[in-house]
Amino acid sequence: MAGRVSVLAYAGGVLLLTIGAIGAAMLLRPGFAASVRQVTGLEPVRAAAADSFYAVRVAPLFDQHCTGCHGERSAKGQLRLDSFAAAWRGGRHGDVLGADGELYRRITLPPSDIKAMPPDGKQPLSRDELTVIRLWLAGGARGDVPASAVKNAPELVLPVTFPSFDPQAVARQRARLAGDVVRLQARFPGMIAYESQASDGIEVSAILAGKRFGDAELQAFAPLASRIVRLDLSGTAITDAAPLARMTAVIRMRLADTALTGNIVPALESLPKLKVLTVTGSAIPAQALDGLRRKGVTVHGGGDGA
Amino acid sequence: MMDPKFLFTDLAQIQAQTRRHFLGWGAGGLGAFFLNDAMRTEAQAAAVQKLNFTRDPATPLSTLPPPFRARAKRVIYLHMGGAPSQLDLFDYKPTLARFHGHDCPQSFLKGKRFAFISGIPKLLGPQFPFHQAGQSGTWISDRMPHLQGKLDEICMVKSMKTDQFNHAPAQLLVHTGDPRTGHASLGSWVTYGLGSENQNLPGFIVLVSSGGITANAGKPLWGSGFLPSVYQGVQCRSAGEPVLYLDNPKDVSRAQRREVLDAVDEINRQTHRQFGNPETVARIAQYEMAFRMQLEASDAMDIRREPAATLARYGAEPGKTSYANNCLVARRLAERGVRFIQLYHWGWDSHGTPTDEGVNVGMVNRCRETDRPTAALLSDLKARGLLEDTLVVWGGEFGRTPMWENRGGQEMAFIGRDHHPSAFTIWMAGGGVKAGLVHGQTDDMGYEIVQDPVEVRDLHATMLYLLGFDHHALNYPYQGLDQKLTGVKPARVIPQLLA
Repeated sequence: MAGRVSVLAYAGGVLLLTIGAIGAAMLLRPGFAASVRQVTGLEPVRAAAADSFYAVRVAPLFDQHCTGCHGERSAKGQLRLDSFAAAWRGGRHGDVLGADGELYRRITLPPSDIKAMPPDGKQPLSRDELTVIRLWLAGGARGDVPASAVKNAPELVLPVTFPSFDPQAVARQRARLAGDVVRLQARFPGMIAYESQASDGIEVSAILAGKRFGDAELQAFAPLASRIVRLDLSGTAITDAAPLARMTAVIRMRLADTALTGNIVPALESLPKLKVLTVTGSAIPAQALDGLRRKGVTVHGGGDGA
Repeated sequence: MMDPKFLFTDLAQIQAQTRRHFLGWGAGGLGAFFLNDAMRTEAQAAAVQKLNFTRDPATPLSTLPPPFRARAKRVIYLHMGGAPSQLDLFDYKPTLARFHGHDCPQSFLKGKRFAFISGIPKLLGPQFPFHQAGQSGTWISDRMPHLQGKLDEICMVKSMKTDQFNHAPAQLLVHTGDPRTGHASLGSWVTYGLGSENQNLPGFIVLVSSGGITANAGKPLWGSGFLPSVYQGVQCRSAGEPVLYLDNPKDVSRAQRREVLDAVDEINRQTHRQFGNPETVARIAQYEMAFRMQLEASDAMDIRREPAATLARYGAEPGKTSYANNCLVARRLAERGVRFIQLYHWGWDSHGTPTDEGVNVGMVNRCRETDRPTAALLSDLKARGLLEDTLVVWGGEFGRTPMWENRGGQEMAFIGRDHHPSAFTIWMAGGGVKAGLVHGQTDDMGYEIVQDPVEVRDLHATMLYLLGFDHHALNYPYQGLDQKLTGVKPARVIPQLLA
């Protein structure tokens, strides 16, 4: 048969083939299907707000655990989790979200399961991380719910980091008192140290000096008083006349096994930064410490003196 | 004409320079050519702050501030040698109880290696009643009635795992970060990094209870490995002389001992001038510390100085060697500024073979020996304001199986469980850990971890963090590497455990 195809039939054929190709691509490539639906206005363009529960809590987990394989460079199972829209597009088998969807099922499989995510012995998601994802999915996997609106979410636990410090800057901070520190370290060996290499805060412990250390010795620390953050005078001979009110930077103080009485309490109450105080084995009565407790100071001991 | 004395020293020096020295320097020199570049790029990549641990060799234990603000200033490590059964103490599994006596499912056995289990063992449910206690509602068995009152102080990790299933390597891994001998122990690393507040006592003291059996891995557990030997643990006894041969022999006065030491020190100093080996200076420092310890150690270790009520709370009896005595000594050492106090209590290896290895007999006794003093130690530290900056760690070297051990296919005479590296429980208290927390979870049979696994190196990284260190930066150059406690596999600080 002599093949003569009308222009109309030819154009129709091309159109059919094109629609067929697009249809096949949409079936095989859900991401493409979503783009087509968005371009044709069949589906809204999805995005999450910057302060949303997704952006603040969920996306960092995807970045940490998933996007190495489900991201821009590699999209295993045709799934990408590197954006809100991509997560909604799903993977080869379609939608993965939903409270009992494929995503949640796979990340909660036991690590020994061949289908468990992340695979190959990589660190599984923690219980709290799973809770965050479950809450997001259960709430409809939305991008507009603010992080602050999800009340029952586990506390945000940030990974521990180690900030680097500049030893020269620390030395400059310490410069004003460095001479006094060196002088006192020579006079009281082993009693005075900086709290860390990154800090100009000073720690003083006289516990090993015992009764050889009293008010007069403490007086010698006056130049450092505003920098002492931790002070341990347990077992020393200090009395109620000790210049403790000057220790304005002190956060933790131990005064165990001393002869201190309730008369020292006003000095202690005047310390603006004091958080933890130990007076076990002193003569300070328990009720004298109520004021400090009311101020939020954690007090150990009190009322155990004879 | 050369002074003959000079000639003699020169000769001695030349003789001392053996082929080994020559090869050592040569190889070091060559290696340095190659390493120089490699190390520079490595340092740039890691961007870890380089720390300086150099000290005057005469005072190797002088304190160094930690790089970061520390939550814990000292550590008391309560090692339960032999591996206590988490399934009978902390990790409550009602489902396992339901399947008690059933054959173990094949899926549990496929591809697994056990120390003793063979064939198809039976499942073994929890052997003691469990209940919840404390504000935190943490589960605990009735074998730890005193610790039960402390659950709101402790931070329990139910998802510890290790890759060693025999005692010695597993203990070495827990204490040195490596299953082989030759690595520096946790206590050595910490005293190397921080020094010790009290120069009259060792910075790292080891106390051993239960019949003189230390642990399978022996003294390498508190060895200094490649670190200078002055940082190794010093084993002290809680009965009799705290350190053997520390007291002067009969008819030798302290003044005479001083003279002898002066002479020995002089000879050591000459040797050091000749060969320059820093270990010689360390030896001088150790003799001097021993001399000072003659006064200080007996006081620190003497629990007769404690009031009767305190002895009773711990269940301590002066003159005996016991875990209770060691707990009380640990508190006294903590007060005296000792940096790392390590207790070993052996006897938790409950296979079910002899009586003392029964979950139902030996383990019950171990609980009785340790429960009261452990709880008393926590109370005492808290009351004295020390718990806050003392990190207490309790744990064994691995866990025990949810199956009844069937060594050689035989039923055991007593109730026993085999070694189980895949899941075990430890707890920490004080020193900046989150009190009242339970971290991690095992499956319903208590067999595998299903939530938040914690490797031994993660525990070490977390402990070092609490002491003010980035675990990458606490290192020591040896064999061309900056050696670390946490080794080369990635270790992480577990943020959930931090208060």
